[in-house]
Amino acid sequence: MDMNNEQLDEFLEMSTVLTAFSAYKLKGTGQLEAYFNTVVEIVGKATMDELLNAYRKVKKAANNDETVLNKQLRFQILSNDKLGPITRNIIKMWFIGSWYQLPNAWRENYGEAEKDSTFVISTNAYIEGLLWPTIDSHPPGAKAPGYGTWASKPQISEL
Amino acid sequence: MRHLKRVVTHQTALEKEYDVVVVGSGISGSIIANELSQKGYKILILEAGPGKDLTLSGYEKYLNNFYTATSKDNNAPYKRNPNASMPRSVDVKKKKPGKPNADSYLVQNGPFISDFTYSRVVGGTTMHFESKLPRMLPEDFNVLSTYGHGLDWPINYEDLMPYYRKAEFEMGVSGNVSSQTFSKQKAYADDYVFPMKEMPPSYLDKCVAKDLDGAEIKLAGKTYSLKIRTFPQGRNGIPNENYKKFNNGELFKPVGAVSEHQAEEGERCQGNNNCTPICPVQAKYDGRKTLAKALGTGNVDILPQTVASRVVIDSATGKVDQIVYKSYQELDSDEHTTSTVKAKLFVLAANAVENARLMLASGLNSTSDQMGRNLMDHPYILTWALLPKIAGTTRGTICTSGISDLRNGDFRSKQAAFAVDIHNDGWGWATGGAETNLLNIVDNQNKFGKDLRNELVHQISKQLLLANMVEMMPDPKNRITVDHKYVDRLRNPRPIVTMEIPEYTMEGIAFARQLSKFVFQRLGAEDYSKYDPMDYGYVKYKDEDYAIRGGNHLAGTHIMGTNADDSVVDRNQKSWDHKNLYLVGAGSMPTIGTSNTTLTLAALCFMSVEAMLKDLEA
Repeated sequence: MDMNNEQLDEFLEMSTVLTAFSAYKLKGTGQLEAYFNTVVEIVGKATMDELLNAYRKVKKAANNDETVLNKQLRFQILSNDKLGPITRNIIKMWFIGSWYQLPNAWRENYGEAEKDSTFVISTNAYIEGLLWPTIDSHPPGAKAPGYGTWASKPQISEL
Repeated sequence: MRHLKRVVTHQTALEKEYDVVVVGSGISGSIIANELSQKGYKILILEAGPGKDLTLSGYEKYLNNFYTATSKDNNAPYKRNPNASMPRSVDVKKKKPGKPNADSYLVQNGPFISDFTYSRVVGGTTMHFESKLPRMLPEDFNVLSTYGHGLDWPINYEDLMPYYRKAEFEMGVSGNVSSQTFSKQKAYADDYVFPMKEMPPSYLDKCVAKDLDGAEIKLAGKTYSLKIRTFPQGRNGIPNENYKKFNNGELFKPVGAVSEHQAEEGERCQGNNNCTPICPVQAKYDGRKTLAKALGTGNVDILPQTVASRVVIDSATGKVDQIVYKSYQELDSDEHTTSTVKAKLFVLAANAVENARLMLASGLNSTSDQMGRNLMDHPYILTWALLPKIAGTTRGTICTSGISDLRNGDFRSKQAAFAVDIHNDGWGWATGGAETNLLNIVDNQNKFGKDLRNELVHQISKQLLLANMVEMMPDPKNRITVDHKYVDRLRNPRPIVTMEIPEYTMEGIAFARQLSKFVFQRLGAEDYSKYDPMDYGYVKYKDEDYAIRGGNHLAGTHIMGTNADDSVVDRNQKSWDHKNLYLVGAGSMPTIGTSNTTLTLAALCFMSVEAMLKDLEA
C-alpha cells in the first residue's frame, strides 16, 4: 500500500496521546504500519486524511498544553460521529490487536466497507496487544513470563 | 519416534489383522492402545477428527487458529468440521419453549441448556482441558450407602489406588499430597508424593488466603474451617526427589512437546495463562503424549478422519462382529467411503456422549436400558468480584488453588458437595475477559491515554472469579438419546441431550453462592456477580437467580455396576451384553463427586487393561 511517511508519523503521534505509550514502545510492537493500513483499507484514504487533519488542528490549538490537547481531542475527534468510532477502534487495535466492526449508525451514514467486520489483525497483533504490559502481564497463550513468576507481586504503578 | 508413519491408509488397515480396534484417540484410547501395544498386540485406532497435530508444526497451526480467532472458546483452535462436529459454547442459545434447540451439533432438549463441550480431534478433549487432576475421595465410591444419594460403585477407592498412581505417573502430576487431605478416610500411603512438586500458588491465591484461611462456616450443624490449597495438575513442574522410590530410583522425567523430531519445548510450565483452550508450549499433559508412545511401539496404526458409525453384533454369539465406519477426505466436503473393521476386541473410547451416541445409533441400548442414561456433568456457578488491591490477576496457570474443604461432609446427605477454583485468568469465563473490560472502558467510560491505562489496571488486576464446581448425581432421566430426524453431514445421528439440574445439586449451588458472598465480604471485595434471565443457563431456584455453566466433565452414560440389570458395563468397563466390547472413559463412572473426571477415568483405563489382557490371552 502506498504509505505517506508524514502521515504515518502523525498517526503514530496521535496514537501516543490515545494510548499514553511512547512512540518508541508503539513502534516496538511492529504493528504501526499494519494498524495504519487497516484503517485506510476499511474507511478509505480520504477519511484517514480527514482524521489526521483534525488531529493537526487539535495539536495546534493545544500548543503543547496537555489539558487543552485532551479536551480538544474530545471536542474535535472523539465526539465527532464520523471520526470518533474510528479513533476508538485505533485505541482498541493498539491494546488488543483486533479491529471491531464500526457501529451500525456509522455504517449507515458513511458506507459499509467489505472488510469492516470484527477480526484479529494478525497473530502478531494479538501477541503485541498493549493491554497486557499495562497490567504487568502477557497475552493469554504467548510471551509467558516463566515458571513460578506468577507467585510474586506484579509491578504496576499508577500513571 | 515416527508417528506419521503410523497414520495408515484404509487399504493398509483392511489388509492387516488387528487384535484390538479402539474408537477414539483421546486419553482413554491412547492409554489402552499404549499398554496393549507394549505387550505386542496389534491395535487400530479410529479417530473421527483430523490427525495432523502429531507434529510440532501441526500443533502450531492450532495455536495460530487460536491467536486469530475472534471467539477464544474451548474449541477455537480447531476448524469447523461438519463431518465430525463438536459442541461449541458459542453455538449455545437460550431454549425456546416447546421444541429442542437443534441448529448446532448437540440437539438440546432441555429443560436445562448446557454449554458443555468436548473436542473431536487427535488427543480428544485433553487438548483443551485445564488438566486439574484431583483423585475422587474414598467416600465418593460409596455415596449411596454413606449419604443416601447417587449410586455405590462396584469397586472401592482402595481397588483403584494403584491405578491412580499409574495415572499420576502417565499424566505427570504436579502437586502436594498434604493439600489433598480432606477425606475422613486415609487416601494416600504415608510416604506417597506426586511425580512433581506443586505448582507455586499465584499471588492472587495468596491475596485470598491472607484474609480467608482459618475462616469458619457452619453447614448442616457442623463447623468447617476454610483453607486455600493447591490442586494437583497434569502440568510439568519441578520433579520431586521423594518420588524416586515410586519410579525405580529415578527422578521423574517430564514429557515435553509431541514432535517428529527432538523439540526443546514443554519441559516446564511457563505460565501462559492459557491451559484452556491450548497450552502453547505443551507443558500441559494431553492425550497425544501417551498416543505418541503407543505409535512408537510400531504396533499401533491410526486412521484419522474416520468416524465410527455403527457397531454390528453377531446375533449368534452376542459379540461385536465389526464396526462400520465412514471415512472422509476433506473437512469441507461430505464425500466419504463406508467400510468395516474387525478385531478380537473392540474398545469404545470416544467419550461419554459419543460412546452412548454410537451404541444407541447401533440400536444397542443394553439389557438394563441404561445406555445413554445417568448423564452427569459438573454444573458450575461462577461468582466474581473486584478485590480492594491489585492482585496480579491474569498470571499463572488458569488455576493454582481453591477451596476443597466442602468436597466432603455429613451435609452430603442433604446437599451436593462442591469445590471452589480461584481463577487466575480473572472474570473471563463469566464476562468475556480483559477484552470486555477494554471495550467498555473505551466505548462507554470514554477513557483514553493515562486514564484508560489506570482504569484497565483497576478493573482487571483486581479481578477475582470463583468457579464453584458442584456435584451432580446420576439420574436415569438425564440422558443422551438419538433420533434419525437429527443427523450430521455424514448422516450419523447427532446426540440429543436431556438434562435437568437435580434439586440436590441446586441446594449445593445455592450454598456455594452464599459462601462466595461470605468470602467477598471477608476480603472487602465488591461483588459483581449477576445472572441474567436471558442467559441460556439461567435457573431460578427458591426465588434466587443463577446462571449455570457446563463443566465438560461428562460422565455416566454407560455406568458400571454389579450386574447386567443395573448397569451397562462391569467393574472392568466390559459390556455385560457383548463379551468382546469395552466401553471406557467417564461414561463408566456411576458418580463423579467433586473431582474433575480425567484422572479417575485414566485410572479406570489402566485397571481395564488387565482385564483386556486376560481376554486377549484366552
